Amino acid sequence: MFDGDQTPALSINLTQLSGRLQERGALRRTPAGIPVLEFSLAHESIQMESEVERKVHCEMNCVVIGSQAQLLAAVKPGDELKVSGFLAARSLKRRMPILHVNTIEFVEGNKNGI
Amino acid sequence: MSIVRVALDLPLPRLFDYLAPEASTRDIGYRVSVPFGRNLRIGVIVDWIANSEQPIDKLKPVTAILRDIPPLPTNWLTLCEFCARYYQAPLGEVMAFALPPMLRRGKIPRLKKIKLSVASTTPQESESAPTLLLPSLLAAQQAAVEQIVSATAFQAFLLHGVTGSGKTEVYLRAIEATLAQGGQALMLVPEIALTPQLEGRVRARFPHTHLVVANSSVADATRARGFLDALAGDARIVLGTRLAIFTPLPRLRLIIVDEEHDASFKQQDGVRYSARDLAIWRAHQQNCPIVLGSATPSLESFHHALAGRYRMLTLPLRAVAEAPPIVRTIDTRREKLQEGLSAALIDALELRLERGEQSLVFLNRRGYAPVLACPACGWISRCQHCAANLVVHLADKHLRCHHCGFETAIPHACPDCGNVDLQPFGRGTQRLEAALIERFPQARVLRVDRDSANSAKKWQALLASIHAGEVDILIGTQMLAKGHDFPKLTLVGAVSADAALFAADFRAPERLFAQLMQVGGRSGRADLPGEVLIQTEYPTHPLYQALIDHDYSRFAQSQLDDRKTAGFPPFAFQAMLRAESPAMGESVGFLAQARGVAQSLADSHITLYDPVPMRLHRLMALERAQLLVESDNRPALQHFLAQWHTALYALKHPRTLRWHVDVDPLEF
Repeated sequence: MFDGDQTPALSINLTQLSGRLQERGALRRTPAGIPVLEFSLAHESIQMESEVERKVHCEMNCVVIGSQAQLLAAVKPGDELKVSGFLAARSLKRRMPILHVNTIEFVEGNKNGI
Repeated sequence: MSIVRVALDLPLPRLFDYLAPEASTRDIGYRVSVPFGRNLRIGVIVDWIANSEQPIDKLKPVTAILRDIPPLPTNWLTLCEFCARYYQAPLGEVMAFALPPMLRRGKIPRLKKIKLSVASTTPQESESAPTLLLPSLLAAQQAAVEQIVSATAFQAFLLHGVTGSGKTEVYLRAIEATLAQGGQALMLVPEIALTPQLEGRVRARFPHTHLVVANSSVADATRARGFLDALAGDARIVLGTRLAIFTPLPRLRLIIVDEEHDASFKQQDGVRYSARDLAIWRAHQQNCPIVLGSATPSLESFHHALAGRYRMLTLPLRAVAEAPPIVRTIDTRREKLQEGLSAALIDALELRLERGEQSLVFLNRRGYAPVLACPACGWISRCQHCAANLVVHLADKHLRCHHCGFETAIPHACPDCGNVDLQPFGRGTQRLEAALIERFPQARVLRVDRDSANSAKKWQALLASIHAGEVDILIGTQMLAKGHDFPKLTLVGAVSADAALFAADFRAPERLFAQLMQVGGRSGRADLPGEVLIQTEYPTHPLYQALIDHDYSRFAQSQLDDRKTAGFPPFAFQAMLRAESPAMGESVGFLAQARGVAQSLADSHITLYDPVPMRLHRLMALERAQLLVESDNRPALQHFLAQWHTALYALKHPRTLRWHVDVDPLEF
């Protein structure tokens, strides 16, 4: 089922996003003891659209599961991150996706914005 | 010829004949060792005959008649015979169950070392009135004692007294009178866990009287010795759980069944007898009074009392506390609960913490959550052997089936879709404990359920720390509901009680009422007034209203009216045939076959229902089905069952199928 060698077209699900850590939930654990942290990322950038530069703002709800959740729990809101991961529905009933973060990069030394 | 008829512990409804040249009718009641197949078995001689129906040359001789203990008395044999007949169980199985395990195996306990202190007291001294100061009786207690004590023949009393009204004191006075007349008293209690406390009280009252404790946790030799002491008439008081009903007591003059409504008096496997109902029969046989005591009598007993068959003794006042606890409902319909707790309950807990008093939050569901679920794909933690969910036990990170005992580690990720973020759904005592610790970090929180009190020792330790005031908030299941007095406890909060209001089992409201009444009775017992808060989405439900008014009779009457309309017990008599096998088709098929046989035997008094899968239709990898038989007439049902049961043995069925008959079933 999870065959890593083949990546058929219909299984592409990769999202990269940078932004500031906005809201952060309390670190919780699954019943098996694995740490889980939900947070939202405030993204701001300039992108090309129809050959025109435009400003982009958005907020992305994310979740990180495992040891990186503990790392993120120590980060202050406002700090800038680069994350990548995949999208999945929040639950069976709530189908809007949230970003499941696999890697987090902490962007340091630019406290004054971009 | 000299032939003995022997009851052997085999699942066959018959006796076995053996040659015993030296035996006579005097040997009836002795245990006997006989060859059976390639083994020796121990049985009980129940009859001596000169001619067997079987050819003499087919009969084997007994190996030995065990005369090392006195023969079991006739009334003990007839008690077992009645039990076998009424509950449709083979006599040998009943007797094997009724005997302590050591005697059943043909052994006897070694002689006890004589305790000098006990041996030096003469019977006259030991039976004189104890010199300790007795609590004075309230008028109703006094009247109850007088009625019981003056009964010289069979009479059933229903002692209906609210928690704290002093039922135990009535029992003790009645026992005292029995002892003074040279009689023996038998007292049945629902649970092993309750015996130490009561035992302490009885021993303190009758320090020089030989008291025997009979329950399944008593060591083999001690239990056998107690049985023999009772048989010899030396043990004057026998205190025990349901199995104690089979203790032979030649001078039995009084039977007491405490908490008579409790379901644990009915055995749910093997010989499915009701110790309470056998106690009534036994009192009748012995022609002595019997006292059934409860704050919430079973509807069966209450019905008998209303009809005048039992004499009702009512203790309306609490002997210890001044006023009954104030009972209120908390309407949770429009409130967003915090981890299952309403603001009103949280405030009430806060207040008790400030005042340094104890609280109890009652939730009759152990574990952390009743199910583990995957929100991504809908997987839930089902037991692979039962039609039930595996319960999340976070304390030791296990999923556990409360029906078959299967357990497994909590999975790292969903077995179906791989999602790691699995969620516990619902609430058990462990989750409530975690929530209360978080909400009241300053409080000392203690959880008492079958997991935290999984041994008698731990249980005693928990009780001791509660009594020592080392606990502020208790979280408890029904374990805590019975028979324990906690003087500093002034608040009981009940959460998630509603489910039982609408359960399929017609006895569920009766049990819920009893449970809440009992657990509510824990509060405010000494000089502190008590309060009971019930969180519910049905605050105007008549059951809760009757609790608020402390009106058991009104509740019981309305339940009886319902039962009468619906034709349920006590207005009907029931028996259940259950079958279990690896395949539901076979289980139901067997019952259909049994129903076919029944149709030819049943008269107009008998109603046969259809075979249906049981509510818990799969248990330990067996598919279970049931067939209900009902009658408006108990003798008619008994007559039918006897014939039917015999016919059932002749039915062919797969070897993997098992069946049994349950008379007066409590479980549906």
